[in-house]
Amino acid sequence: MSIIPSAKSTGALYWPVQARRNIGVRSLFLVVLAFLVAYGVLFPGLFTASGFAKFTQSWFPLALVAMAQAILMLTGGISLAIGATVSLGAVIAATTMAGPLGVAGGTAAVALAGLGIGAATGFIVVKLRLPAIVVTLAGSFIIGGAALLILPRPGGSIPAWLSDLLAGDTPAAFVLLVVIVLLWKLYLATPLGLSLYAAGENPVGAYRSGVPVDAARVAAYAISGLLSTGAGLFVAAQTGSGDPVIGTAFTLNSIAAAVLGGIGFLGGQGTMRGALAGSLLLSLMISVMFFLGFTPVAQYVAQGLIIIGAVAIPQFRKVQP
Amino acid sequence: MTTRAPLLAARGVSKAFFGNPVLRDVSIALQPGRVHALLGENGAGKSTLINLLSGALRPDSGTIEVDGRAVARMTPALARQAGVAVVQQELSLTASLSIAENIGLGAYPKRFGLVDYRELAARAKAACKLVGLDEPLSTPVGNLALGRRQMVEIAKALYRRPRVLILDEPTSSLSATETKILTDLLERLRGEGVAILYISHRLNEVMALCQHVTVLKDGTCTADRSLEGTDAAGLVRLMVGRDPGDLFPKWQPSLSPAAAISVAKFSAGLMRDVDLDIRTGEVLGIGGLVGQGQEDLLLGLYGAIPARTASATVNGVSGLPGGVPKANALGLAYVPADRKREGLHLIHPIITNMMLPAFARMPALKLRSRKAEGEKGKSLAAQLAIKGDLQRPAQALSGGNQQKVALAKWMPHDPLVLLLNDPTRGVDVETKREIYLMLRAFAAAGKAVVLLSSDTPELVHLCDRVAVVREGRIVRMLERTVLSEEAIVSAAIGAERRKVAA
Repeated sequence: MSIIPSAKSTGALYWPVQARRNIGVRSLFLVVLAFLVAYGVLFPGLFTASGFAKFTQSWFPLALVAMAQAILMLTGGISLAIGATVSLGAVIAATTMAGPLGVAGGTAAVALAGLGIGAATGFIVVKLRLPAIVVTLAGSFIIGGAALLILPRPGGSIPAWLSDLLAGDTPAAFVLLVVIVLLWKLYLATPLGLSLYAAGENPVGAYRSGVPVDAARVAAYAISGLLSTGAGLFVAAQTGSGDPVIGTAFTLNSIAAAVLGGIGFLGGQGTMRGALAGSLLLSLMISVMFFLGFTPVAQYVAQGLIIIGAVAIPQFRKVQP
Repeated sequence: MTTRAPLLAARGVSKAFFGNPVLRDVSIALQPGRVHALLGENGAGKSTLINLLSGALRPDSGTIEVDGRAVARMTPALARQAGVAVVQQELSLTASLSIAENIGLGAYPKRFGLVDYRELAARAKAACKLVGLDEPLSTPVGNLALGRRQMVEIAKALYRRPRVLILDEPTSSLSATETKILTDLLERLRGEGVAILYISHRLNEVMALCQHVTVLKDGTCTADRSLEGTDAAGLVRLMVGRDPGDLFPKWQPSLSPAAAISVAKFSAGLMRDVDLDIRTGEVLGIGGLVGQGQEDLLLGLYGAIPARTASATVNGVSGLPGGVPKANALGLAYVPADRKREGLHLIHPIITNMMLPAFARMPALKLRSRKAEGEKGKSLAAQLAIKGDLQRPAQALSGGNQQKVALAKWMPHDPLVLLLNDPTRGVDVETKREIYLMLRAFAAAGKAVVLLSSDTPELVHLCDRVAVVREGRIVRMLERTVLSEEAIVSAAIGAERRKVAA
């Protein structure tokens, strides 16, 4: 009767579902591939161990904040506090790791700060039903202020061995990214993780179906905070010290990467693989334009035009039936 | 009659929204192995009753019973535990998730804390098979047509193995084949002892499928009986009929043969190929069930949504206006149903709301004259009996007075055609009467009034003619001599063919 043999369709549902999610981002993957080839031609060093390590290190923090932003956008929210949270992560890492807490304690402090800030933000947004954009704008002042209180001017330090491990000639950043992506896949395979989509796109319907909508959204904010402070730790390791305003540019870049990756503003639209590809594309664009000798100003203009174009093209497609 | 306790029941429940009673002392009992029909006109309280039964709302008084025991505080979670599944009219699906992920949403099978996709696939597959869905389970719901999505919604309810299944107009977006599958399925579930509550406006479906009927009218129960020995006409009589009292003014027809608007093969939104003449001096009613395209008819004529037509004449000018400013220039005015969002700017002063259409007509950079505006506002307020300070924000007014402001703002422009979208919804009786008088006065002054209304008595007692819309077409044009609530409701739900045949 059925077109699909029943043994096959009941045996493996997970992979066909995953494959379906690629459909929307195929063209994006092609664009990213084209940029990768261009980058490889302009900078053949990419294919050496240290070139690859450097390349993934320059992409890694942007990938993390793109994920942090994408999770929130999937629930129908947004965060303007990502940059400030990255800065806070960086200063906490730089002030704790050289002290009595050590690297392990410092890492735990960074993680707890991220989870705590995220959960508190999420609680305010979800339980008090306040607009995410206002809460996180206010949050960016508070979190950014806290970073400046902890470390008024650049300073602190990260143990040299950690800097060498994360930002030296090892592919540690790439390995970490793979681990994070796998953890994300695992989260998305839990009922709470999968509920993200339903909670973002159709919260009323999801609530009626018995989905813990509020819990799914608060959890998303907590994870987002954790990814942001984690990106801060990595940036501190890259520079070897803490800078209380180093994360500022990440707020808007995280939104740009997510939007490039096809994440919609209305919630429930887009995929994490898209957001990651978007962050890679943004990172590549910046590098390629740098190698082509664009002035920084021209880079910004080009970057803006490409983002507008990326958002507009699907709209044009929609207009034509 | 069965003596078993009903699986789910409401006993003497009442519910009011903002002091407006929606349900009064209604009881309903869902017995296992019975398909129970719930009938009623738009706004009779059907959806509210479902929401009470499924725990989405709590009754002001009365109790909800599960298996004969009163539940102190019904919640959606409790309802799910009791095996109550609701197929809502608006879908609860997520477009970006697959069919299987939607079906299991909120009740995923778990293994080691993860969604057990193997188990989910098996159970979703079984639910899909029941409703005849043979698309691959991994298909995103966003890729499905509306009718298929409705089937996913039903499969989602079945996945939970319900003891009580509530379906709110499940067939409105289904094809004939899909409807047949659904009715066969309901027959089977009934045989397995499931209690089913079936809400539909399609009377022949109800007659064929259901054994018992509860009819609601204006929030009260007018019938709770077996369907055996009942005919469609009898059911229609139970749904309508209200003592009009002296709510409606006495009026003389002021119809003239001149057409204000005349369109042929007009299509807009849901409306398809409609021929319509709107004459000067008449109140033309637009009736039918909610959401059959009536609003699109008004918006299309007004140029607020794209419309196509073979030929059109609007106040002597050929062609549709095609845009709101053009429509205003041709003497059309539109008063929306949702006055809070579309009709008024609630936080702004009443006077500003009244002047808004005038602003559009003023030269863009001319200074405003507050004095002239104030005087005009006062005279409008006097004319329409809007009481109080005009500098207050519009949200300070009652619903009825807000509606009068929404009407008043068009008066200075002396519109030739008034398009009114349900102007008396949520309006108190006194203001209703004032609005009725006003509408007849407009008609007497030679204007054309188009009155879209969900209130059937209002159509019967106020209109020269009533066009009844069903599924995007005008299915009946009822002249005043044959106007009755029965006639309108019969045409709206398509019961008249049976009546003629019987």
